[in-house]
Amino acid sequence: MVSNIIFFILAFVAVVSSFMAVTSQKIIRSAVFLLFVLLSTAGFYFLLDYHFLAITQIAVYAGGVMVLFIFSIVLTNQPGVGVKFEKPKRMIVAAIAALAGLAICGHIVYYNISRLYFYTTQEEFKMQDIGFGLLGTGKYQNMLPFEAVSLLLLACIIGGVMIARKR
Amino acid sequence: MLLEISHPLELIKLTASLDSFLHGLLPSWAALLIEFILVGVVLLAMYAVIALILIYAERKITAFFQCRYGPNRVGKYGLIQSVADMVKILLKEIIHVDSVDKFLFYLAPFFVICASMLTFAALPFGNGLHAVDFNVGVFYLIAVSSLSIIGVLLAGWSSNNKYSMIGAMRSGAQFISYELSAGLSLLTVAVLAGSLQLSTIVADQSYVYHWNLFRGHLPAVIAFIIYLIAGHAETNRGPFDLPEAESELTAGYHTEYSGLQFGFYYLAEYLNMFIIAGIGTTMFLGGWNAIQVEGWDGFNQVMNFIPSYAWFFAKTGVLIFLSLWVRWTFPRLRIDQLLNLEWKYLLPINLVNLVIMAIIVVFGLYIK
Amino acid sequence: MTVSEYFSGLFTGIKSLLIGMSVTWKELFTKKITQQYPENRGTLVISDRWRGNLTMPHDENNEHACTACSICQMNCPNGTIVVKSKTIETEDGKKKKILDTYTYDLGTCTFCNLCVITCPSNAIRFDNSFENALFTRSKLLERLNHEGSKLREKKAAPKAAENIPG
Repeated sequence: MVSNIIFFILAFVAVVSSFMAVTSQKIIRSAVFLLFVLLSTAGFYFLLDYHFLAITQIAVYAGGVMVLFIFSIVLTNQPGVGVKFEKPKRMIVAAIAALAGLAICGHIVYYNISRLYFYTTQEEFKMQDIGFGLLGTGKYQNMLPFEAVSLLLLACIIGGVMIARKR
Repeated sequence: MLLEISHPLELIKLTASLDSFLHGLLPSWAALLIEFILVGVVLLAMYAVIALILIYAERKITAFFQCRYGPNRVGKYGLIQSVADMVKILLKEIIHVDSVDKFLFYLAPFFVICASMLTFAALPFGNGLHAVDFNVGVFYLIAVSSLSIIGVLLAGWSSNNKYSMIGAMRSGAQFISYELSAGLSLLTVAVLAGSLQLSTIVADQSYVYHWNLFRGHLPAVIAFIIYLIAGHAETNRGPFDLPEAESELTAGYHTEYSGLQFGFYYLAEYLNMFIIAGIGTTMFLGGWNAIQVEGWDGFNQVMNFIPSYAWFFAKTGVLIFLSLWVRWTFPRLRIDQLLNLEWKYLLPINLVNLVIMAIIVVFGLYIK
Repeated sequence: MTVSEYFSGLFTGIKSLLIGMSVTWKELFTKKITQQYPENRGTLVISDRWRGNLTMPHDENNEHACTACSICQMNCPNGTIVVKSKTIETEDGKKKKILDTYTYDLGTCTFCNLCVITCPSNAIRFDNSFENALFTRSKLLERLNHEGSKLREKKAAPKAAENIPG
C-alpha cells in the first residue's frame, strides 16, 4: 500500500516533469525538469530495492550528465532567452518520432515485463556478483564489451585532446 | 572477535528496546511509521545541532590560529554565539530580487541542502546508529553528494549576477575535478576492504592495525591524503575557496541570497565539512570502532567503555581540525593552480596508487 | 617538464606545505594579543604617540605656559582653536596681553599636531585619552585653561621630551 502511494507520487513527478521539460521555454529549466525525471526514475529503482541501479542512475545521470548539461548550457549564448516553438509541420514530425519511440519502448516493456518481474522478486544482487558480471571472462560475463567501451572512451579522450591542442 | 564487555553508554540497547516496545504496542506498519519519522527527526535535529557546534568550533579554532580569542561575549566562552547567529539568520528577511529566474533561484538552495542531508543520513554514527545501510554504501555517498553542485550551478546562473556566475563556474569546475580524486581514493580503500557496504567496512577494522589507513601500507596513506585534499576542495573551503573569493567575487554563487536561503548554503557548507570528515573516518580510521590493540586487554576495556558514537565524533573532529588547520595555513589558489593540482598531480598519483593497491590485495600483502 | 622535475617539484611542494603547517601549529599556542577592552581599562597601555585630546598642562600653582600668542590658532587648518586674550595692567604699570579663554573644538580637530609643533612655549600637548564619545556635540567644545589660572613666570621652561616634533 505504502509502496503504491510512493510509486504514484514518483510517477506523478516523473510525468509532470517530463512534460515541463519539453514544454518549458527556457532551456536551463528544461534541463532541471529533466533532472527531476531522472531522479524520480532513481526513486523507482529504490522502490524496487535495486540499490545499485538507483545509485548508478543518480551518479551517472543526475550527478554526471546533468551537471555537464547545465554547465554547457550556462556556457552557451543567451541561455536565458526563451526558445520559440517550431513551425507546425516540424512539430508534427517531432510528435510522430516521439510516438514511434513510445511504441518501441512500449513493445519492449510489454513483452519483457514478466522477465523483469522475475528479477524484482529475487533477492538483491550482491555488489560482488555485479562486479564479476561486469568484469568476468566467463559465460554471461562482460569483460569484452566493457573493455571495448573503455577503449572507445579512451579514443574519445585522445580525440578531444587532439582537437583542443590544435591552434 | 573483540572482548565482550558491557557497553553501558551504547544507544543500541535503547533503540532495540524502543523498537520492541513499539512493535508490542502497535501493528507493525504503525511501529515502522513511527520509527521512520523518529529517525528522520533525529537526523534533522542532529544536522542542525552539529552545524551549530561546528560553526562555534570553527570560529574558536580560527581565532586561536590568529592569536585571537574568538567569540567570548555571548554566554560563557561565547558558547551560545552560534545559537544567537542561528536565531538571527532565521529572523532575517529574505530579500526578493526582481530580475532573477525566480523558479531556479528559489529551487537552488534545496538541492544543496538535500544532497548534504541525504549524504549525512547514510553515515554510520555508531554501533546501531546507522539509518540506511546499502550494500553499495560508499557508492551511494559519492553519488548523492555530487548532486549539490547542481544547486551551486543553478544558483550562480539564476542570480543574474556576474559574480555569482563566475563563482558558480569556478565551483563547478572545481567540484567536477576533485570529485574524481575523492571517488578514486575511496575506490582504493574499497579495493582494500573488499566491500562497498559501510557496516562491513567498519566491522572489518576492529583493531588499530586493521584500520584501512594502516592495513594497506603506503598506498592507503596516500589515498587518505588525497581524499583529504580532494574532500577539502569539494567543500569549497580553505585554500580552495576561490568560488567565493570575497576579494574578487563578493561572495561567489550565493551573493544574491539572503536570510534562510543563505542559511541553507551556510549550513550545507559546514555539514559538508563534517560529512567529508565522517566518510574519511569510516573508510580510513575504523569508523566508530574504539582504539583497540591486540593483547592490551585492560587498555581495550577502558577504550571500550567510551561509547562508539563518541569515538566516531572524536575521530571526525580530528579530521575537521586538520581541515581547519590547512584552511588557516595556506593562501588561496588560483584557478589554474587548482586545476593543475588535480589533473597533473592528484589524479595520476591516484591512478598509480589504485593499481598498486590492487596488486597488494591480489597478492595478499596487506595486514590480515 | 621532465620526470625528475615533476617529482622534485612534488616533494619540495609537500615539504614547504609541511613547514607552513608547522608554523601555524606554533601560532596556535602563542599568547593571544586581543585586548579585552572594557574589562582591562585599568591596565590598558596606550602609546605616548597617540594623540587623543588637546590639553594644556597646568602645574600645582594653577599656572600654564600659554602666552596667548595665537600661533596655534593661526596654524590650525580647521579653525579648531580659538584663543581669546585680554589686556591687563601689571603692578608696575605695563600693559600686558594674557590668556582669557582657550577654546578647543574636538569635533573639528583632525589631530594633525600642528598646534603642538608650532607652540613656542610648549603650553599645549596631546594626551592619550581615547574615549571621546559624548552624547551632545556641544560638549565637544572644551575650554583648556582652568578657571583663575595664570601665566607661569618666565624662567625657560624645560622642553618636555614627548613634545618634540617628529
